[in-house]
Amino acid sequence: MTYQTHQFCDEPTVRDAAQKAALAIPPVWPLTTSVAVNPFLGQSSEGLAQTAARLDRITGTAVTMPAEWYIQRFETGQITRDDIDTALQGVKTKDLPDVDAVLKAAQQHQSETLPCVADLATDHSGTDWPGILADRMGVWAGGFFDQGQALWSANDGQSIWDAWRSFAAHDLTPEILGLSGFAEHVTALPRSAEIALTQSVQRLGLSPEGLETYFHQQLMKLGGWAQYARHHQWQADLAGTPDHGMRDLLATQLVWQVAILDQYDDALAQDWAEICAKHATPLTVTPAQRALGILQTAADYAQQRTLAEKLVAPVENAPVDRAKVQAVFCIDVRSEVFRRAFEAQDKGVQTLGFAGFFGLAAQHHDFASDVPENRLPVLLNPGVHSVSGTDWHSHQDRTARITARATRAWGRFKLAAVSSFAFVEATGPIYVGKLIRDVFGLSGNKAPDAPKPRLTTELTLDQQVDAAETILGAMSLTKDFARIVMIAGHGANVTNNPHASALHCGACGGHSGEVNARLLAALLNDPGVRKGLQDRGITVPADTLFIGALHDTTTDQVTLYDGDQLTDNHRDDLAALRDWLGAAAKIARSERALTLPRAENQEDVAKRALNWAELRPEWGLAGCSAFIAAPRHRTTGRDLGGQSFLHSYNWQSDTDFKVLELIMTAPVVVASWISLQYYGSTVAPDVFGGGNKLLHNVTGGIGVIEGNGGTLRAGLPWQSVHDGETYQHDPLRLSVLIEAPRDAMNTILEKHPDVRELFDNGWLHLFAMDQDGHMAWRYAGDLTWVAFNQVDQNQTAAKAA
Amino acid sequence: MIYLVPLLAPALLFGCALFGRSTRTAEWGALAALAIVTVSAVILALAGSGTSPLIGAAGLGLSTRLDMLSIVMLLLVAFIGWIVLRYSKTYLDREPGQDRFMALMCATLASVLLLVQSGNLVQLVAAWIATGFFLQKLLLFYADCPGAIRAARKKLWVTRLSEVSLIAAVIILFWTYGTGDIATILLADHGTAAVWAAGLLALAAILKSAQFPSHSWLTEVMEAPTPVSALLHAGVINAGGFLLIRFADVMLSAPIILAILAMIGGLTALFGGIVMLTQSAVKTSLAWSTIAQMGFMILQCGLALFPLALLHIVAHSLYKAHAFLSSGTAVDVVAATRRPGPVAIPNAAAVGRAFLVALAIYAIIGTIFGLTGKSVQAIALGAILIFGVAYLLAQGLADAAPRALTKLTAGYALAATTGYFALQSLSEWMMASTLPATPAPGPLEWALMIIALLSFGGVAVAQAMLPLWAHHPVARGLRVHITNGFYINAMFDRLINGWSVKKSS
Repeated sequence: MTYQTHQFCDEPTVRDAAQKAALAIPPVWPLTTSVAVNPFLGQSSEGLAQTAARLDRITGTAVTMPAEWYIQRFETGQITRDDIDTALQGVKTKDLPDVDAVLKAAQQHQSETLPCVADLATDHSGTDWPGILADRMGVWAGGFFDQGQALWSANDGQSIWDAWRSFAAHDLTPEILGLSGFAEHVTALPRSAEIALTQSVQRLGLSPEGLETYFHQQLMKLGGWAQYARHHQWQADLAGTPDHGMRDLLATQLVWQVAILDQYDDALAQDWAEICAKHATPLTVTPAQRALGILQTAADYAQQRTLAEKLVAPVENAPVDRAKVQAVFCIDVRSEVFRRAFEAQDKGVQTLGFAGFFGLAAQHHDFASDVPENRLPVLLNPGVHSVSGTDWHSHQDRTARITARATRAWGRFKLAAVSSFAFVEATGPIYVGKLIRDVFGLSGNKAPDAPKPRLTTELTLDQQVDAAETILGAMSLTKDFARIVMIAGHGANVTNNPHASALHCGACGGHSGEVNARLLAALLNDPGVRKGLQDRGITVPADTLFIGALHDTTTDQVTLYDGDQLTDNHRDDLAALRDWLGAAAKIARSERALTLPRAENQEDVAKRALNWAELRPEWGLAGCSAFIAAPRHRTTGRDLGGQSFLHSYNWQSDTDFKVLELIMTAPVVVASWISLQYYGSTVAPDVFGGGNKLLHNVTGGIGVIEGNGGTLRAGLPWQSVHDGETYQHDPLRLSVLIEAPRDAMNTILEKHPDVRELFDNGWLHLFAMDQDGHMAWRYAGDLTWVAFNQVDQNQTAAKAA
Repeated sequence: MIYLVPLLAPALLFGCALFGRSTRTAEWGALAALAIVTVSAVILALAGSGTSPLIGAAGLGLSTRLDMLSIVMLLLVAFIGWIVLRYSKTYLDREPGQDRFMALMCATLASVLLLVQSGNLVQLVAAWIATGFFLQKLLLFYADCPGAIRAARKKLWVTRLSEVSLIAAVIILFWTYGTGDIATILLADHGTAAVWAAGLLALAAILKSAQFPSHSWLTEVMEAPTPVSALLHAGVINAGGFLLIRFADVMLSAPIILAILAMIGGLTALFGGIVMLTQSAVKTSLAWSTIAQMGFMILQCGLALFPLALLHIVAHSLYKAHAFLSSGTAVDVVAATRRPGPVAIPNAAAVGRAFLVALAIYAIIGTIFGLTGKSVQAIALGAILIFGVAYLLAQGLADAAPRALTKLTAGYALAATTGYFALQSLSEWMMASTLPATPAPGPLEWALMIIALLSFGGVAVAQAMLPLWAHHPVARGLRVHITNGFYINAMFDRLINGWSVKKSS
């Protein structure tokens, strides 16, 4: 018992450690409004190899692909010896003298995961304590976080700690399964989670140094439940209110561990003390982890070579006097395919890329809905409020609500204890029709068609002009306006898919983007705003019409909200636009058909949207690997394969680099979250992936569990990154290409350390494009840059591995 | 010979299962099976009910019984089977083992089709065992998954017991009546031996249809892909109820067994229905719903309301197949309930008014459909409808509910009541010549009905006012026990060491 150092773990120490551990866990949003989250959010202050060591210790999770994956790419020539060598040069390590040593070391990975008390108890007793614990926490958390699945709700506003204690004090299951006295143990707990946590730490005999990885491990074992609580904390942080959910959850975990330790004390004490001691040792990166990190960097480099070649290849780009149509799309990689197809329709078609919330951070109330929808990036607080429909719609609104309430009453009739029998006997045979309708996909999915949204936040004309000026500036659209400017949000079109919101627009908080697009179009069509813009040097011709639209990413149909404003003077323009959009949709679908299983042609792609058994209606952002902020003509006519976020940016007109700062701190960060979510769900599907869709069981209306119960599964389902035969997403770290002076970028990185660490620690790659739009400079960390086209780039890989 | 036509349906599906490439052939096999069954319905309409010649010896073997009961079940199972296989073809696309999966689904479906057309005891037993066997394999589609293994072990115990029970029942029947032909047995005079047979049949049915306390495996079958749940809950689980209805004449000779069935069924119905209220995962909630619905169906069998039990099987299967296959919409469904604002909570007075209005609707619509011709048992069970409709009405009669909502819920209530009586009349009319009539109730039946009405009524009232008491500290504690299904599952796990793992050291 020489390891016992509990006298050092006082309450403030434990509190601090618990706060730090909470930050190590990424949040997960509910499936109604899910957005991509970087699973390594809490590890961005360290590199991949260090993170590998950390996660290996606590969960045994690898953060790279297995060595064979890289070796296979090496053998087929996708990754060259030079790629690996360059990556190796960036890492100063004596263990790995050359490329062969890297390849050899990578294959000798050995996990050194530290078991917790429950694991030790399993080895000792043969009872699956971690499984029982996950099952019990799942039953409790499922009820606690339920948003309306169960008619008898469990949550009446208690804190996590109080609610769990109340549950666990009544739950007889642990005792039936052999954990004697558990309910009593729970009943005797202090009312303060903090005190209980400290007492548990002391009982477990952890030292202050051991708390970091131990707490992190205990929260990780809760999987999505901890991430969901972290989401509550995230929201509370944004609102500036306190939240102790993570601490409470941690306390519940430790109470379990203590109860199990108490039960098997004599048998486990010695092993456990050793593990406590190991938690207190610093993390060491093994040569295998280092080597895998190098190989990952090499894989990133290989992809960057291909991208650089694409950007150099000559293409014909004839400039036109005045575009017939300008279309602003979301930067989402799925837009790239459509934009390319759309521009191919006519020389007069120009497209731009901008974050899909179009600068309007709107908290929106949909038609006949009480639910506030944050149609904005989750990094922000709402800036404006909006609602669908005007006062004129109030009667329709009321009728729609009554119908919805009657439907809800019928739904409760269907599910309640006794009435469900009457429901079945009175209406069961109707389901013959429903089964036939759904098996043939006959119900049809309409594009969102709520009445025109309007801002309810009172903005003065000046404020409106300010907003319009900022937004137009940020999308580098301040002159040469076409007759039609289409603002296209995007949304997916899927049936029976719990992860639908993950396919919608992340910048709109997991909603489809039509509301923000329509709001912006209305703002820019306002004569007062136009006049105000003119006074500030932005002249929008009188014949320019802004029009809101929605790009359906599953079927590539574009819906125009042309009823929002008078279009009498643009009838011919709109007719031409519709033709082009229709033709572009076919081309885009044909391209998507190539990678979608069972899609022979473009028509098959559109049908997937209505198929209730379809697990892969579209590929979402799978394959995303680059972010390019540059004028569109740098990429026009180049097939980027639907793998690039394209942000329009013209640094020459960005006098104080405010727009650059915005791009590097908002869209780039959001893109990194998306890229790393795909990365995490691919390399560590068991921990950061959403599991097997075939087994998904939607719980509480907020998430999915696999099968009967246990932990909530956050991240992307296996079927969203893998097509059954091969990966549809190559786990690569995003390459950010920006056409802007390096000094300007350095200044911004210096000002935003949280963004800088993403690049310095290799979670993202940064490139500066030159005056020809070629990848000219690679950011090499610590605000230094090296020329990209030199083969010998000694520093380039610094820390990237 | 023409009565052998239905046998082609399972034969074809077994063929699909056996000869590989099941992913390609399964849906077409199922569609062909549906066509064969439809043709069989025409045969039944033209030739009347009958049993095919026996393929076997000594009165034992394979033979098809074609009558209203078997044709209804055949149509139901073939239809749902086709839907589920069509769904699976896309759903499991490129999943490793899809061929194996489709083959097992075909084999399970074929077994159920074989079961429901059984004209002979041997076929009945063989098909009964086959459904259990193939389902077990499907349950272990992911054979490494600890949850699946645990559920499968529980299911195996229950399945084995039900098989032993059925075999014993069949031996008694064969011994007593000297034939394996089911139609002959049903028409014979039933003596004391029939009571034993009825008891064993009842036990087999209870175990097969997940009745309390043997239900707990059913709530864990979500460890297999969704279509398995759909086929299980809409097809296989009905086998217990089908058995009781098939042997309705034998069952009627044992009132005491029927009474026990009514008690277990009623208990399971309430138990499952209440536990369902607390379940936060959609598939788990649906599984508890199935337990409850099967309980209600067994209660109907216990009250000798066999045509209604059959109606319940059909109606529930269709609903549940759809509910499982569309369970991915649960996120949208829950979100939609939150949009139109808070639920208007009815107080005691509103609930009282709702019960009176429901009673009035029941009396009026019932009279139109001819309430007087119905058995006492059917009228008593109709109270369930009153309770259910009252719940619907109460939501519209709450003080905070606007008038328009009251009208809409009243409209739904009228529609539901009309649907209820129409379907009931239809089912009674269809089954009049196939299934025995419900006998007049004796004191035991009266007592059972009164207990059922009181307990269902009590739960209905409590349910209607749930938001008013759900968060009382006592209720909060009770909710924990209910969420855990009163620990039947945990005790079962303990009994069979469900949570044990191989020690790693």
